[in-house]
Formats: sequence, C-alpha cells, structure tokens
Amino acid sequence: MMNYLRIFLFVLLQALVVSRIQLFDGLVLPFIYIFSLLMFPFDTPRWAMLLIGFFTGILMDLFTGPPGLHTSACLLLAFLQPLVQNMLAPREGYDSNLKPTIHKMGLAWYTTYAGILTFAHHTWLIFFEFLRWDKFFFQLFHILLSSIATLLLMILAQLLISPNKKSS
Amino acid sequence: MGNLLALLQRFHVLLLFLVLQVFSLIVLFSENNFHRKEFIRHSSDFAGYIYEKRDEFTSYLRLAEINDQLAIENAALRSLLPENYISSDTATFKAQGVRQQYTYTPAKVVNATVSRKRNYLTLNKGYAEGIGIEMGVIANGSIVGIVSSVSKNYSIVMPVLHTKFQGSVKMKGTGEFGILEWPGGDPLFAFVKEIPKHVYINVGDTVITTGFSSHFPEGMLIGSVEALEDKPEENFHRIKVKLATDYRKVAWVQVVKNLQKMEIDSLQQQQIIADGGEE
Repeated sequence: MMNYLRIFLFVLLQALVVSRIQLFDGLVLPFIYIFSLLMFPFDTPRWAMLLIGFFTGILMDLFTGPPGLHTSACLLLAFLQPLVQNMLAPREGYDSNLKPTIHKMGLAWYTTYAGILTFAHHTWLIFFEFLRWDKFFFQLFHILLSSIATLLLMILAQLLISPNKKSS
Repeated sequence: MGNLLALLQRFHVLLLFLVLQVFSLIVLFSENNFHRKEFIRHSSDFAGYIYEKRDEFTSYLRLAEINDQLAIENAALRSLLPENYISSDTATFKAQGVRQQYTYTPAKVVNATVSRKRNYLTLNKGYAEGIGIEMGVIANGSIVGIVSSVSKNYSIVMPVLHTKFQGSVKMKGTGEFGILEWPGGDPLFAFVKEIPKHVYINVGDTVITTGFSSHFPEGMLIGSVEALEDKPEENFHRIKVKLATDYRKVAWVQVVKNLQKMEIDSLQQQQIIADGGEE
C-alpha cells in the first residue's frame, strides 16, 4: 500500500517542487518521481510492474508536457527494472524480506541499480522530447547531469526517510 | 493454436510492454488525435487546480516582485489617461465613431515551464470567463503567447518558447516583416527569420507585432535585436532577439480577445472559397 501511496507523493513532489528547479537554464532537471517505481519489491510480477509504470507515467503526464512522454519512458523503466535486478542478483537470489533500498542492499548495489535505470529512463525521455541531433553534446550533458542529480536526490531521500535502520 | 498460446504465455511481458509502448508513442506523436486533445483538456482542469493551490502559497514569496511589475504597468496606464493629453483640435477628437477591436481579461499564471522544448503556461481562467482558443496573451505590453486549449476554469498557453510557435512580426521603423520562431534552448532569446539580407538591421532595433495574425493588436513589443547570426548560404537574416517577456518571472497576464476576429476570418474564408479554394 505504501508503495502505491508513494507514487502519488513523488509525482506531486515532482510537479510542484522539483520541476521548478531549473539549474543552469534547464541543463540540470532531475526526475525524482521514478524513485517510487524503483522502490517496488523484488517479487513484483513483471506484468504488474509494467502496468504500475504505465499508470505512473500517465499520472505524471497529467501535470507536464506532451501526453505520452512520461508514460513511454516509465514503461521502459518498468520493463528494464526486473532485468537489472536479475543481473545484479546475488548468487543465491534475493531473500524474500529484501527490498531494493540502500539500507538493505548497500550503497554500491543501489547506485548501480538506480544508476542504470535512471540513465535509461532519462535518455529515453529526453531523446523523445527533443528528437534532434544538432545539439548532441548539450543533450548528452543534459541527460548525464540530470541523471546524476536524480540519483543524488534518491540517495538523499532514503537517508532522510529511514535513518539508522541498517541493523533491522 | 496450442503453439500460439504457448508463445503468448512465453512472451506475455514483452507483448504487454510493446502494446503499451506503441500506444503511448502514438499518443505522443499524433498531434491531432482526439484522445490526445481530450486528455489535455481534462488534465488541464485537474493539474490547473493543483498548480493554483501551490501558487497560493508561493506567490506570497514573490509579492514584492509582482508589486513592482504592477506598479510599472499602473504608471504606464496612468500616462495614457485623457487628462494627460491636450487636444489641439477638437474636431479630430475621435470619441464617437470608434469601434472597439480588442478587450483584455486579466489572468494569473499558475504554472509555467521554460526549460523544455515545448513549454506551456497555465492560466487560472477558462471558458467560463470568456477565454477561447487562439486568443493572444500579453504581459506588460509585450507578447507572451497564444491560448492553445481551454477548460472550464483554466487555460493552457503556448508561449513563444515552444518549437511549434510562429508569429508574424515586423521591425519597428523600417516595417520589414518576418517570422518569429524559437529553436529551443535559451528561454531569453528567439529568432526572426525571412527578412532578406539586403535589409539593414541594427543591434538594438525593436521588434513588434504586425496585427496581421488577429491574435495581437499591432505594435505589441516582442523584444530587441541582440545579434545577427546570418549564415552565408542563406538569403535571409537570422536575427537573434532578446525577448521582452521574462518567462521565468511572468505572474500576471492579459488575454486579448479580438472582437472582430470572427468577421475577419469569415470574410477571408469567403474570399478563399470564391477563388476556388486554397492553392
């Protein structure tokens, strides 16, 4: 339940606060709302993850920009997420009580996991928004810097939300 | 048949992904799709409401700046009052016999983006207050954009900072006509095209509206020439214009209603039909 509530909270946070942050004339624009998708547990069925991504994207599209843009990028994220999780799985697989968080999986694991997915999502989103190659390096910087900003915010959010729970 | 079901079973995730992905890309790339328009219409009512609530909080932080903007505009309007003018010849005073062409509706900007390729502004008035599609939007005497969709209480404006925006403009002074476009990127600058190279352009020249497009009255400020970025292979200037409107700060706007737009449009349409349709 908390997982679904978090989607609404982070979409609102994105639309009302984070999208207003326009560092260096929009060169750095983090999309923190995908954090709620990355938090879904390892045993979420893949088809369910796709539908969750689809509706999260629609919710985000209600607030900003051309309809379909965030939906499309979130779908890609939801499709790739289980694949990346499998790729990074420990040899004996995931324990049933594990969650994809820093506290459970460690900072290195989380940075790889969230880094790959954030970069994929941002590349898709920004490519389909601009659809041109004449400003290739600007776009590349835009994608890279925005991904890094999103990643930092997601790490920060976790450290703020549940500090000192590593032992539990 | 059994094979097909087995195949579906095996690839159901990929299939679901592809179906949903194709659906969202179709919505993204079809400009005149019915579902897309309905989505924008409904979402602007919903998102507009939430943006307005947010704006009720944040506007307190910007009160000083908004006060300044309003004070400047007040001063400009006060200078237009009749008692500031001395009529030298009462016979030419045109109080009677004038037709009003434009009316203005003030509205508040509740959301604005500047950093995307297609930016939009959300205003807190919709068709309930007489706002309609294709009306012009101005702020402090300079142009902001054109209303692109309306719901009951909110409207969405396509500003100059949108790659599909095109406006007819002219150089104040020489009166050369050009087309205003924004290629994306810096929200402070746009470009004027289609002015031939033999026309002499100074840095600092003023760019204004033509009044051809029926969205805006003639002579509304657009900006001033920042630089000429001509390319040798083209026959037209590429004029970089510093926009008069700072979209990152615009708070109050006026929506321009052209009372004669219907009449002008239908007259032009009649002429086109009389000429046997558009070429």
